[in-house]
Amino acid sequence: MFVADVRLPGLQDIAFVRSGVAHGRLLSVNKPADDRERVFTIDDFDDLNVLEAGPELEAFRQSPYPALASGKVRYVGQAIAACVATTRARAEDLAERVEVEIDELPAVVDAVAAMQPGSPRLFENWADNAFIARTISAGDLNLFSASPMRLKRRFRMNRHATVSLEIRGVVAHWDARLEELVVHLSTQGGHVMRLGLARALGLPENQVRVIAPDVGGGFGGKNRLLPEEIAVCAIALKVGHPVRWIEDRREHLLASVHCRDHHYDLTVCFEPDGTLLGIEGDVHIDAGAYALWPTGSFMEASMAAGNLPGPYRMKALRVNTFTVATNKAPMGPYRGVARPGACFAIERMVDEVAQHLGIEPYEMRKRNLVKRTEMPYVTVAGLKLDTGDYHDSLDTAAKMIDISAIRRRQKERKPGEPRVGIGFAVYTEQSGHGVVEWSKRKSRVVPGYESANVRMLPDGSVNISVGVQNHGQGHETTLAQIAAHELGIDPSQIRIRYGDTATTPFGFGTFASRSIVFAGGAVGVTSRRLAEKIRLIGAHLLQAAPESVRIENGAVLSDSGSVGFGEIARAANIRQEMLPEGMEPLLEFTGTYEPKESAGVFSYGTHAVVVEVDEATGGVKILDYAVSEDCGTMINPMIVDGQVQGGISQGIGTGLYEEIPFNADGQPLATTFGEYMMPCATEIPTVRIAHSVTPALVTEYGVKGVGEGGAIAPPAALANAVADAFRDCKASFNETPLTPRRVWEAAQAAMTRMEAAAETRA
Amino acid sequence: MKMTEISVRVNGVAMKSSVEPRTSLADYVRETCGLTATHLGCEHGACGACTVLVDDVLTRSCLKFAAMCDDRHVTTLEGLANDPLTDLLRQCFHESHALQCGFCTPGMLMAARDLLRRNMTPDEITVRNALAGHICRCTGYSGIVHAILLAASRLKPDD
Amino acid sequence: MKPAAFDYHRPATLAEAIDLMERFGDSAAAISGGQSLVPLMNLRLSPSDQLVDVSRLAELQQTRDLGDSVFLGAGLTHAMFEDGAAPDPANGLMRQAASHIAYRAVRCHGTIGGSVAMADPAADWPAVLLALDAAALVRGPMGERRIAMDALLTGTYTTSLETGEIITGFEVPKLPADARTSYVKFNRKVGAFASSLAVAVRQGEALRLVLAGAGPRATLLAATAAAFIAGAPKTSVRNTLAGEVALIVEADDPYACALHIATILRAIEEIS
Ligand SMILES: Cc1cc2nc3c(=O)[nH]c(=O)nc-3n(C[C@H](O)[C@H](O)[C@H](O)COP(=O)(O)OP(=O)(O)OC[C@H]3O[C@@H](n4cnc5c(N)ncnc54)[C@H](O)[C@@H]3O)c2cc1C
Ligand code: FES
Ligand code: FES
Repeated sequence: MFVADVRLPGLQDIAFVRSGVAHGRLLSVNKPADDRERVFTIDDFDDLNVLEAGPELEAFRQSPYPALASGKVRYVGQAIAACVATTRARAEDLAERVEVEIDELPAVVDAVAAMQPGSPRLFENWADNAFIARTISAGDLNLFSASPMRLKRRFRMNRHATVSLEIRGVVAHWDARLEELVVHLSTQGGHVMRLGLARALGLPENQVRVIAPDVGGGFGGKNRLLPEEIAVCAIALKVGHPVRWIEDRREHLLASVHCRDHHYDLTVCFEPDGTLLGIEGDVHIDAGAYALWPTGSFMEASMAAGNLPGPYRMKALRVNTFTVATNKAPMGPYRGVARPGACFAIERMVDEVAQHLGIEPYEMRKRNLVKRTEMPYVTVAGLKLDTGDYHDSLDTAAKMIDISAIRRRQKERKPGEPRVGIGFAVYTEQSGHGVVEWSKRKSRVVPGYESANVRMLPDGSVNISVGVQNHGQGHETTLAQIAAHELGIDPSQIRIRYGDTATTPFGFGTFASRSIVFAGGAVGVTSRRLAEKIRLIGAHLLQAAPESVRIENGAVLSDSGSVGFGEIARAANIRQEMLPEGMEPLLEFTGTYEPKESAGVFSYGTHAVVVEVDEATGGVKILDYAVSEDCGTMINPMIVDGQVQGGISQGIGTGLYEEIPFNADGQPLATTFGEYMMPCATEIPTVRIAHSVTPALVTEYGVKGVGEGGAIAPPAALANAVADAFRDCKASFNETPLTPRRVWEAAQAAMTRMEAAAETRA
Repeated sequence: MKMTEISVRVNGVAMKSSVEPRTSLADYVRETCGLTATHLGCEHGACGACTVLVDDVLTRSCLKFAAMCDDRHVTTLEGLANDPLTDLLRQCFHESHALQCGFCTPGMLMAARDLLRRNMTPDEITVRNALAGHICRCTGYSGIVHAILLAASRLKPDD
Repeated sequence: MKPAAFDYHRPATLAEAIDLMERFGDSAAAISGGQSLVPLMNLRLSPSDQLVDVSRLAELQQTRDLGDSVFLGAGLTHAMFEDGAAPDPANGLMRQAASHIAYRAVRCHGTIGGSVAMADPAADWPAVLLALDAAALVRGPMGERRIAMDALLTGTYTTSLETGEIITGFEVPKLPADARTSYVKFNRKVGAFASSLAVAVRQGEALRLVLAGAGPRATLLAATAAAFIAGAPKTSVRNTLAGEVALIVEADDPYACALHIATILRAIEEIS
């Protein structure tokens, strides 16, 4: 059951009146005279709080984001008024009758231009359009002037949407009996959303219950509190009947969380033999009009900068980062957060240097990748790559994809035949990072632990409640596997529960590749505590010494006999007199877990892809896609493969298809799937995956996260492959998505350059 | 609001309803009939989540008005609860890890079943083409394609 | 994303349908498969508030052999052509085109008549029917008329249909067995509208070359076809083509021109 499937008596629908312009002063909102009380504007709520959002840094400028526009509109699609009616269609009828008067202002649509003096500003009280600007530098900065060779390139990863197939949705009502607001919300983390909602609405948290039923994908997009969600709850408190808002696809593309949108202007320094020395330059993050609660998109800039050195032995880093406000929908996290952009920039750069020096890109990587013997290795950006063999990963991928066969094919190509190219990209995926990392980032909410409540019922069956939120990751399967392992029972006897703040312990939710590390760890350690108590009771019932018994197959065994969990659970829950003297009844523990070290553990891998490019049309076809990856211990290989394949599919979307372009007035040009290209089974190949397993040292079972890695490397690998196909004319493909138009134009420009050069020579 | 009277057989049950002409078939089965296996992912025909059968013909229920289905037989995934071919597909989806969040799954099952009824021995390209226009954001499709090929391999001629 | 309110009519006969269409004039729209109209209505982009359902009219479902040509009812779906359930007087070209339109479920409902009436500049049927030199049969308050495809397509989403007129079907000439056809569609993903669509139909020394996805409507490239048939050298055919394409592509857009040239050249190659 998804949010849109929730049926409550008296339920009514909400439709929003949205801004048609990107930037303007809101002069008036006129409600239809005959239906005024069914239309809500910000003026109808004098008790709503606007939440501070973004990192807790003095330098981070606040961009107050009201639930409904107040004073100004700052992007096309911003909600201005909410209309309530018995059906969505009627609510939309009503919305059409609301008249909005806006005094249009010049729109800010380019993040780089937005930082030029004289650019119009989104917030009058800011000195410029930056939420925050920071320089990150580390290592031997003298290298930048001393370096023998350098190359300068610009890269751009364009904006797109998160596009969970189930779009956002809220159903809210006031439960008069319990005196609480019940909110069915499609979210990745109900507990944190409750915190935000309660604050925004001015309610104590114990009067807000958030239920996330089945969630049809999130990918980051459902890990922020959006204004519509607050507005719907505020209306529910006023109207006395349940209300719902189910986002439609147009609203989603227009006004939901947007992502990517990075600009890089970089110079890389290197030795003539291809040894990379350092990287410097500017990174602009087009963050849209507002910071979303809790943490906005501020991590994009620092993570992009921090990941620019990649897994390479670089000695210097100096990056000026700008997180810029523009008149576009607010940016939020999306699978891979910042790293797809950084990986695109550095991996393209590696290939550009290789091309420049005439080195095989594979060799170039071999020369610079961190070696196994150097682990743990702290990159120049300060990321501690904990365990793994990056060279082996690259070699495996190279073997799977067969470079020499492709090189042969390229040599034998006759004019007129499609071009073929091969591309590599190496990535790392920080996961399981906790207190140290998030507090360093000044995160408003520090997801440093997860919790689990493990309970054995009187009949011996087990319920486990967790604070993470499955929305496709298979938590039921993996968490039950872990608990079953610890408890010595079959996974089928275990139920995993999540998604209801009323019944689950506090937790942060599912994002940032953290669930298997944190929730897996919490379930593991808490189950272990339960197992220990079971063992003690079992020993007592067997009249054996506690040291002499062990757990196996749902029973406690001694040398002379055994007692089943059913009996033990019965004793613990309903036959207290059978327990050891002084032991508390019940078989229930709530525990939390954080890894021994909280800077994170790094999964990593290499993507290798072969493409065919049609020179005449610019069309790109993927011929083969191979991945070698290492995410530490795999609890469930099938789920790991599913995450890798799914992540890559999204990465291919970023790399080849998905984009929301804006015109000069800030109008988005992709607001339906007619213009927004979503790859389907005909566009996404089945990826060949090789695993190696280097367990993490600081997590339970040696696991590392795996949710995001797949999405990080594809844009880089694809662009490298396309560039490889045009190696002879030195074409650069530095902007995603690589649409046929971009590919054709870049190739054309390179060929024109080459012809001109040939002419000069002649 | 002017209403239109319709008689529709929904999953074999004869329904007489009075609907607004603008009610889509999707909203009709979801809101009026309470059958929520039919999902809405775009409402403009591009994602496939809303796919149902009308007189056994594959249909995007977001692109049909309920009024146009007067006198027709509509089958949603709920109506295929005892259909052997759908059962087989469900089993193969399960075995092939062909779903993660499950939101696309009803539409995928509908399309897969329709394909196998027309072609019991599809190759991979045929399967992929039959899934064109069905968006899955989670799986990257390989499990789904695998599941359908697996189901085909297990099909007996009289299924 | 729900449509604005409208009235729904399902006339039992074509005559009744025409009456309704005439009576409601500009506020009326015929609905056939609904696969183009309903998305527009869901986005509230269609001005019509009187919907006349023509999807069950028997006249629109017919096919008739007319000797040199075949009558194909406007209500035949893309899937019928794809499956070979509707005749294909063009030796497989119609079947090929049909199977590249949208997705299976859309093809099961979308109709050839609706597609032509919609007149999307990138649509498949208008281009194919134009290349086949077909004509639409149209019934309206003033009776029946026959409109050649070239005269029917007037611009982006516009046709020369008058108020109250309904397309009943198409007369499609039968191609001789030795005729050669080609269909080259370049799109961003399977099932998407064409970025460029080239259709060629060659009967001996007669070549009809059509480009769609460029400009306001599918266009015959007569000069290029003539140059090719006259046996002009490849570069000269290409230059003629570049000239014709440049006239169609509105803005200064080298990529669009190159793309259209590429699809047309491929189509020519296939019928050479
Ligand atoms: C996701 C998607 C992808 C698509 N991709 C393609 C594609 O690649 N290529 C392509 O060509 N098409 C594509 N289409 C459009 C599809 O082919 C439609 O089926 C077709 O364009 C319209 O046919 P219809 O019968 O559904 O018409 P409707 O939607 O019912 O009507 C379309 C228009 O024609 C009018 N009309 C309908 N019938 C008649 C008639 N008999 N006489 C006069 N006017 C009439 C209507 O009033 C309306 O204005 C796509 C559609 C979707 C939803
Ligand atoms: S909801 Fe119907 S196709 Fe997407
Ligand atoms: S499983 Fe989530 S959309 Fe397919």
